[in-house]
Amino acid sequence: MAVKMDPIHQFELKPLVSFGHIGNQEIAFTQSALYMFAAVGIIALITIVATAQRSVVPGRMQSVAEMFYEFIGSTLRQSAGHGSERFMPLIFSLFMFVLVLNMFGMIPYAFAVTSHIIVTFALALLVITTVIVYGFMAHGTKFLKVFVPSGVPGWLMPMIVAIEIVSFVSRPISLAVRLFANVLAGHIALKIFAGFVPALLAAGAWGAISPLPLALSVAVTALEFLVAGLQAYVFATLASIYLSDALHPGH
Amino acid sequence: MSGNDAGDGNGDGRQKPDEDLSARLKHLEKQIEEKLPAAPSRPSPGAGASNGASSLGLAMRLSTEFIAGVLAGGILGWLCDQFLGTKPWGLIVLLMLGFATGVYNVMRVSGSLSRPAAKSAADKNQDRERS
Repeated sequence: MAVKMDPIHQFELKPLVSFGHIGNQEIAFTQSALYMFAAVGIIALITIVATAQRSVVPGRMQSVAEMFYEFIGSTLRQSAGHGSERFMPLIFSLFMFVLVLNMFGMIPYAFAVTSHIIVTFALALLVITTVIVYGFMAHGTKFLKVFVPSGVPGWLMPMIVAIEIVSFVSRPISLAVRLFANVLAGHIALKIFAGFVPALLAAGAWGAISPLPLALSVAVTALEFLVAGLQAYVFATLASIYLSDALHPGH
Repeated sequence: MSGNDAGDGNGDGRQKPDEDLSARLKHLEKQIEEKLPAAPSRPSPGAGASNGASSLGLAMRLSTEFIAGVLAGGILGWLCDQFLGTKPWGLIVLLMLGFATGVYNVMRVSGSLSRPAAKSAADKNQDRERS
């Protein structure tokens, strides 16, 4: 008796409410959208409701909210430097959104929204659009200095400028691919290792070594929790590093 | 919490010093904030990676930075071919450029680029002095 293993099945989108079709594409409220709304709800609960009291000595929930705020605030200040406070709402929202979605993905049977590249790419495009729009708004054409690093010999300049332009284009891609790939790969690995356990148990005498993949999947679960937090942190850090280019171009 | 519950009648009288304190705290915070960016003016992404979490984050960055460079080059090359009609050449040239970008990105993230840049700047200065 073979146990069917389908590690990709968990990433399927299931339409909950359909709004009809545009061309061949169904426009629907999927479970992915539902998770996103739930994430926004949880974040609102942590940040708005918990801090509503504004007590000087914070309660439990308020200190959680303050902890997140201070953490992101210091990260932003370190990576983007002076004048970066105006991006605090953006970075804080991004971090909390990605973190909560990643953590939702770790709940058994839950759906990992950030395992879809279109979601992460939309977030990355939001960051890069902010960088470009703010950069041109604040510095005008001086923003193009981002592509011209200082201290490069003249004959190398055309090459470096071309590389810098491709590098700029690669930024949203790297932001999106990193988050999506880590979450996707983690969930597939988890599913496969966990799938070994029933497969080995079903294979008669091989069942004796089934505790090995079980232990491994426990370890991978712990690793995935680490990755879930870390990727949210990396996303926020990189977004603030890119924003620092918009704040201080031409270093 | 218990301090707040003590009595509403005293609330106004007690609020004042608290407000004063928070104003002073805010003032101090502002002063610190103004002084803080002066020290690490622009920390390179790799420099602050002393604790475990951020060095692990750095390790995860390195691989995708390279892939993203090649991907970006490929996408730009393909778009160039599509819209400018330079059929094979845009993809060939920009893919190679993307490869170079990937290496450049990895070097920049790992922080090994800061020294050569400083060195080349120093060389430039020397050249200027010589000529």
